[in-house]
Amino acid sequence: MSPQSTVYDGRSGQWAFIGHRISGFLVFFFLLLHIVDVSLANVDQELYDTVHELYGNVMLRLFECGLLFALLFHSLNGLRIVLVDFFPGMVRREQNLTAGVLFVTLAAGLPGSFIIMKPWLDGNIF
Amino acid sequence: MATVTPPSQRGVDRSAHLPDRRPRQNFETWTWFFMRISGLILLFLALAHFAITHIVNDVVETDFEFVVNRWDNPLWRLYDWALLFLALFHGLNGLRTIIDDYVRHPARRATVKALLYGGSMTLFAYGTLVIVTFDGAA
Repeated sequence: MSPQSTVYDGRSGQWAFIGHRISGFLVFFFLLLHIVDVSLANVDQELYDTVHELYGNVMLRLFECGLLFALLFHSLNGLRIVLVDFFPGMVRREQNLTAGVLFVTLAAGLPGSFIIMKPWLDGNIF
Repeated sequence: MATVTPPSQRGVDRSAHLPDRRPRQNFETWTWFFMRISGLILLFLALAHFAITHIVNDVVETDFEFVVNRWDNPLWRLYDWALLFLALFHGLNGLRTIIDDYVRHPARRATVKALLYGGSMTLFAYGTLVIVTFDGAA
């Protein structure tokens, strides 16, 4: 590794860092797209509804499940970072905190994804 | 003129002889603080927004009519604008850090940042315009 590299041997913290970057990057670019699609409401009602219906198809529903997991992980891992920053003693429990972040991400993300996919599972959409 | 410390006070206030150790607050201190505060607020704003538009309501129900009803209430416009403002600048600062880490060539870094800042500020201005001026007549 070059001295300029941002990779270090931090185990769970290293993976949390990578996950935080990737999830933040993806959510940011979805936000830019989302500003554009909502702004169509100010341009033309038909156009807004046509573009909006796309969010209901199965591919974009899967994308929304991914967005949910990215949002949950980024929010909860961010909370972990704030805890460690403001309460330095928390660094001793760093591994437990990371495990908690993953657990809650899955515990909230899996049922949420089920609800998002339900119209497809019920065969109401293609 | 040198001040002479009276013998009764010698050895009491040693800090007077030490350099000022208070932390200097620069731009990075403030962005660090902004990321923590905006992040904590966004945790509630963004997750509640997602829950309303994907869990409580199905995504296909959030059509034009949904927007008209929602933005009939100025408090929802304020909520959405706060979400737009905080999420965009939180993300913008995150992207700035990522670019500083991975785009090392000075000219390339300046170009990527110019595109990022230009694009983000344009979308922020346009999003703000839509939230303020939307009247359901389009």
